[in-house]
Amino acid sequence: MNRLLVVRCPDLLHEDENGAALRAFAKVVDAVESYCPWITTVRPGICSLPARGPARYFGGEGPLAQLIADAISDIATVEVGVADGLFAAVLAARSGLVVPAGGTPGFLAPFPVGILGRPELAELLARLGIRTLGDFAALPESHVLGRFGADGVACHMVAGGRSGELGDLCQPVAGRRVGEQRAAGRPAGAVVGEPGFWGGVSDTDVRAGRALAAVQDLIGPDGVVTARLQGGRGPAQRARFTTWDAGENRVDSSLGAPWPGRIPSPAPAVVHPAPLPAELAAADGQPVSVSGRGLLTAVPSRLSVEQQPWSTVTAWAGPWPSDERWWSRSHRRGARLQAVTASDAHLLLVERGRWWVEATYG
Amino acid sequence: MGRVDPIGHAKPGAILYEHMFVEYRPRLVFPGPGREPAEGYLALLAERTRPVSSSQTRLLPVLSPLAGLLPDGSLRRGTTIVVSGLTSAGGPDPSGGGISLAMSLLAAASGAGSWCALVGLPGLGAVAAHDMGLDLDRLPVVPHPGAAWAEVAAALIDGVDLVVLCPPFPPRPVMARRLVARTRERRTVLVVLPGRSGWPEHPDVHLSVSDMHWDGAGTGDGYLQRRRMTVIARGRRSATRPRHHHLWMPSTTGAVEAAGTGIDIDVAAPAVAGPMART
Repeated sequence: MNRLLVVRCPDLLHEDENGAALRAFAKVVDAVESYCPWITTVRPGICSLPARGPARYFGGEGPLAQLIADAISDIATVEVGVADGLFAAVLAARSGLVVPAGGTPGFLAPFPVGILGRPELAELLARLGIRTLGDFAALPESHVLGRFGADGVACHMVAGGRSGELGDLCQPVAGRRVGEQRAAGRPAGAVVGEPGFWGGVSDTDVRAGRALAAVQDLIGPDGVVTARLQGGRGPAQRARFTTWDAGENRVDSSLGAPWPGRIPSPAPAVVHPAPLPAELAAADGQPVSVSGRGLLTAVPSRLSVEQQPWSTVTAWAGPWPSDERWWSRSHRRGARLQAVTASDAHLLLVERGRWWVEATYG
Repeated sequence: MGRVDPIGHAKPGAILYEHMFVEYRPRLVFPGPGREPAEGYLALLAERTRPVSSSQTRLLPVLSPLAGLLPDGSLRRGTTIVVSGLTSAGGPDPSGGGISLAMSLLAAASGAGSWCALVGLPGLGAVAAHDMGLDLDRLPVVPHPGAAWAEVAAALIDGVDLVVLCPPFPPRPVMARRLVARTRERRTVLVVLPGRSGWPEHPDVHLSVSDMHWDGAGTGDGYLQRRRMTVIARGRRSATRPRHHHLWMPSTTGAVEAAGTGIDIDVAAPAVAGPMART
């Protein structure tokens, strides 16, 4: 389970009519974000962030909690706590505690069962003589399952500190509203997104959204993706596929920036998700490679992709050496070559003497 | 090293390596309040806010170089189009120009606001699609529909204007017939890339690539610039005679342009489109 730091603003938990609480909370989130970018808004008034990385940077969880509390204190009253899992971390924030790693079950044990937010379960447990989370967690799980069902087991795991959260603790809708509030409060950047149609979402958009939701139901949410363009040299780096999300606000980034060394238009119509192994041979059957100086060792004559029969290379262009990230450990050195056969044209990449088909001009 | 730019876009004084290419692309940048918009900004903006085509219109637009391939000069709603690449394609994918051709069919409609969806194409070249004129914001892709491909396609036919389907498995005739019937009923356009799976139904239009040639690459010099492609269109009713069409696809900018003489009618070829054989 993750070490989570929870920021809880007790005055901002409830939305008021004119949205002042929501706006104040958006400021809180902005302030916290300067300490850690991976911030999650749990619900209005509560946000969480993974504590491990920032704690290491800021010299421990205690100092980090103090830093964040100080940063927010002039915006709203704030409670900060750290524990394993969201449920325990919210309780820790209410008491302003940093629960040490592994201490979560002990921290949770004295709390009354009513804190789980299941009145019926709490009443029943109280009548059975089980009044604290510690007592509840001590029950054998199989008995809990038999008596209280799946929801009971979820509560049981939370009570024992073995699971981070109950399903309904997060309110994604509210979290999104906070996100919208933050986006609205930001000064407009230089780049504007696509202006919407007059009157907002059109009928066709609604219809398409419904069909896509049906497809996501069929094969899982990750089954539908959408492409976004970005800067890059190789064809695979120039587009990013993300899971389809109907409510997403899309802005293409860095399209105008020049990328020296990029193969010019036209772009290949097929970019293989994983490069296909290929073999490139000279007329005498010897494999062709690219020397350290970026020159071909022989004239390419035949190409075979994925062990398929050889096809004759009628024209080729390149090789263009690419030396990427030479400053880091993910250093890649290779060369690209365009090869035309009778029926196709491929963009080949050679790395460490092996040829790959990166993309096909299908 | 020299002041040479292979695509002729070099700024004065720019020094470029021979293998380095730089592209400049117009960008939609709002100048901020109180300042004059850059020249062309309003035109770009107007182009991007064109109204969507309503589902009531009978025809969907198609790029002008492709108009001659289709019976109405545009995509008629409710029809099925089969696109096949060069049959001698020995590559790993059913490409041989087929994927480019299918994309180009969507380009104008997508640019005008129609929703398109791709089913069963794992390696979409998003940049190529963008350059051709497709709007990636309205182009959901289902790369691996798996065994449920027919259900996925059926659901999408209900909701979007154009569906490109590349069946991962050979479709049974009854499946194909149902999808075609649904396409007609929902007034969608179904573009099938049968690849090796085949397509057992008679399409309304069958486009096939018969010949292609790449310009630009030689023996190590230059780079791929454009492809001249010959497309044969066969069809039913008003489009029974096979028509040959020469296209630059992609052209030097990644778009589609007409090449050569345009339409010539081939009298010798068989005049009826048959079902695609499984190969």
